[in-house]
Amino acid sequence: MESYLRDQVDWKILLITLTLVGLGLISIYSATYDAGASENFYKQIVFTGIGLFAMVGVMLIPFRTLQLLSYVLYAISLVLLAGVLLGGKTVSGSTSWFTVGPVSVQPSEFVKLTTILAIASFLSSSNVDLDRFKYLAGTFAFALVPVLLILLQPDLGTAIVYLLMLIPIIYWAGASGFTVIAIVSPAFAAVAALFGLTPFLITIALILAAFWVSKRNRFIAAIAFSATVLIGVSVQYIYQSVPTYHQRRIDAFLDPHTDPLGAGYNVIQSTVAIGSGGLWGKGYLQGTQTQLNFIPEQWTDFIFCVPGEEFGFAGAFLVLLLLNLLLFRGVRIASTVKNRYASIAAIGVTVVLGIHMVINIGMSVGLLPVIGIPLPFLSYGGSALISNMMMAGLLMNLYANRKEY
Amino acid sequence: MEEFGRKYLYYSIISIVFLVFTTRLYQLQLIYREEFGRKSEENSIRTIAREPVRGYIYDRNGILVVDNGPSYTVTITPSEFDSESTPFLASILEVTPEFIHERVQKGNLYSRFVPVKIKRDLDFRTLAVIEEYRYQLPGIDYQIESKRYYATPARASHLLGYTKEISDRQLAEFGGAYRQGDVIGSTGIEASYERVLRGQKGYEFITVNAQGKTIGSFEDGKRDIRSEEGFDLYLALDSHVQAVAESSLTGKRGAVVAIDPTNGGIIALASKPDYDLSIFSGVTPPEVWNEMNSDTTHPLFNRATMTKYPPGSTYKIVLAAAALEEGIIDTNWTVNCSGEFRIGNKIHKDLHVHGPVAVIEAIKVSCNVFFYQLILKTGLEHWTNYGAEFGFGHRTGIDITEETSGILPSSDYFDTLYGKGKWTEGYLVNLAIGQGELGVSPLQMASYAMVLANKGRFYQPHAVDSVWNNRAKRADRVEHAERQLKISDHTWDLLREGMFHVVNSPGGTGRAARITDITVGGKTGTAQNPHGEDHAWFVGFAPFENARIAVAVLVENAGFGGTAAAPIGRRVMETYLKADSHKSRLQEEMKTVTARADL
Repeated sequence: MESYLRDQVDWKILLITLTLVGLGLISIYSATYDAGASENFYKQIVFTGIGLFAMVGVMLIPFRTLQLLSYVLYAISLVLLAGVLLGGKTVSGSTSWFTVGPVSVQPSEFVKLTTILAIASFLSSSNVDLDRFKYLAGTFAFALVPVLLILLQPDLGTAIVYLLMLIPIIYWAGASGFTVIAIVSPAFAAVAALFGLTPFLITIALILAAFWVSKRNRFIAAIAFSATVLIGVSVQYIYQSVPTYHQRRIDAFLDPHTDPLGAGYNVIQSTVAIGSGGLWGKGYLQGTQTQLNFIPEQWTDFIFCVPGEEFGFAGAFLVLLLLNLLLFRGVRIASTVKNRYASIAAIGVTVVLGIHMVINIGMSVGLLPVIGIPLPFLSYGGSALISNMMMAGLLMNLYANRKEY
Repeated sequence: MEEFGRKYLYYSIISIVFLVFTTRLYQLQLIYREEFGRKSEENSIRTIAREPVRGYIYDRNGILVVDNGPSYTVTITPSEFDSESTPFLASILEVTPEFIHERVQKGNLYSRFVPVKIKRDLDFRTLAVIEEYRYQLPGIDYQIESKRYYATPARASHLLGYTKEISDRQLAEFGGAYRQGDVIGSTGIEASYERVLRGQKGYEFITVNAQGKTIGSFEDGKRDIRSEEGFDLYLALDSHVQAVAESSLTGKRGAVVAIDPTNGGIIALASKPDYDLSIFSGVTPPEVWNEMNSDTTHPLFNRATMTKYPPGSTYKIVLAAAALEEGIIDTNWTVNCSGEFRIGNKIHKDLHVHGPVAVIEAIKVSCNVFFYQLILKTGLEHWTNYGAEFGFGHRTGIDITEETSGILPSSDYFDTLYGKGKWTEGYLVNLAIGQGELGVSPLQMASYAMVLANKGRFYQPHAVDSVWNNRAKRADRVEHAERQLKISDHTWDLLREGMFHVVNSPGGTGRAARITDITVGGKTGTAQNPHGEDHAWFVGFAPFENARIAVAVLVENAGFGGTAAAPIGRRVMETYLKADSHKSRLQEEMKTVTARADL
């Protein structure tokens, strides 16, 4: 029995997940303690309970059934996503929630999981060649449908996650480096263009070099490269032609210090909170930035400041370490499972969690622009928590079935 | 699943992310910890300065002369201030919106979170309006500060000086402990004793939340720094004598300086016209300030220490001292005064025909002819040297900054003024009787009277006798210089004899200075003035032996020293000495009463 459990249950994932959820609860308690939002803490406890059930549930679903149900679940979740636009609740300008009695559900959080499953299902067919346009387009279509629905809410942050996650997934599923470069280079060029001419020129030079080195289909390379240059130039052109106040918003997005009281306020306060924590932190419930509410709604997207300020480097490092261990574990499962569907699903889940972590922590420590997405397992929010725990459950499920073809 | 070399790329990316974030956390939390710690404190901890109570000022009898009272100052915390309320606030405070804007801007440069003072000394009506609309005026508050109240009828405007809101220039110069809107001693004692009077600001630390709302005191006020009261000053001033001196000059222009010859303490220092110090203690409206400055009688000008007028005949004693001490004449050397004195083709007239006079008689009747002859015999060099020995041409070193050194001409001075060899002895005769290029202040003259009263003992004149150090709980005496003039007792006796006769003998010019029961010594002077009436001078001291007060009186454009200045000198001395005897009589009576009770 004991050896069975050891074989069938991925204790590492379970332990890491539970620890992160616990740290999340501790942080949310602190963040809401003096902010008149302590009911959020109790709600999160309830969500944790539901999440535990969901996690175990996902873990126990027979893996074949899951594969068979992938498209169905995807379809259902899309219906819900569309439904939100019609009958959803609007919070801070985004129509992302369904309200059922006292509970608000955010379908876009769950759609991440179903989209991954659907893509995994699609890519696990034996004849898939991701260097061919139709398969590539098909894969993108799975993501683009929810992206469009989410952009209508609108929720830019979540949409970005959907697009970003595709790249590592298709590469894992066999797309060549050439294809990946061709896909990502326009995006790189667009971002580089915003930083100015020199970064843009350096970027396109690097992209050109990458195409040259890959020595694949010169025709497609030329098209992709032209598209890259074109997009970069148009982004610069658009930036130059929009009114100054729009430019300022873009500047503040890229560098919060240009607008310390507006768009940059949260980031500055967040770095101050983390920085002032020092090695061991100011002590639980003693963080002045946290307790005096210098970071609005800190319990959602800026939850990382709480361990950072109150437990210092020790606390922040622990959170970072656990999340990264989880990602390592995810890649490990993806590379050990025998089944291709399972492998792609595992990498998809890992990638989604990773992107959330990178964007969220990157924003909290002032390395990346502010994009409002939650930190997995720690941020307040039932849908995200339950969805993340289900992803952990999925990883555990795939681990348990790692030997199945 | 096929063998992926690709997984290593994924592991690498995760590792890189982990390393980058760890490095970033290390950088933020360990390298820049101090800086961020300070920023987070700045965020949540506000420092509120608490103004210290400025030191009180007492006179020599322990009477409170300069008091403090509450004053309300409105402040703005720039970080919380909504600039849209500027026009409304401006209308309440009766200032221009630009003024408020400028103040807030300046405050912002220092710190957005520290309140800047906008207007001090609010009246209760304005205060009530602000209190009423406070919820519409975020970031606006008021502080209770102290302002100066002047408790006695004596104004002593020029001696005490005024405090004023610190100027930008002073702020740049002193910086440190001062902030915009603070008051600083500007003139007189308030300025020269600023360091001891001002005390030390206290600081209170409070915790505020992100909205700037006060949550409570920071660490239960354990880190607060209490303000330290300024040190009190005990003056040599006698406020009653000062008031008498001032009233004696009412409607006149001039000055009275009375010094305690036993130690150099300033008993009274009056300069008229003067001004009411209390107009500076709150907010001084620019109109009042302009009016003061453009007043042709210059009320702000300290005539007692800053004027440079010829001293007239009061200065004859200096020449007599030089001649006697150098052995150039003795008491038998006589000049026959014919009422005029001819040098070259110029005739200098005297007011009277005195006939044959020797030095003591010449001082008594102030015979010009005698001194004309005497300076020719004595020479400029001795005259200059003895003037310098008496302290002329130098600052006395009084403990206020407004003081002139006056002008003591010497041959070098004349050489520069007229050119070498281009001036003749004829220029000297004016100096003999204290006219011409010689310039002295009433303070120097009072110091001169003190030296004569003391037979050569000079004490540096000083307004402040001691400073009460409230931390060490001890009174620190203010140190001052003293010296003995290099003139023999014999000469002093002769000079003083002359001064005795000036006041006490029939025919003396200073008979108006006599005081019943007290012997006075003195000398009058009438200084010619090319611009109008003569300036009247009197220097004197009393009692004649063991003097306790020495005075100098200057009344501008008032005519004869003997009639215009000597009576004021008498009043001042008498007030001081009689009050003293009155006091000692009271003490005697008390003793007798106690003695009787003992029986």
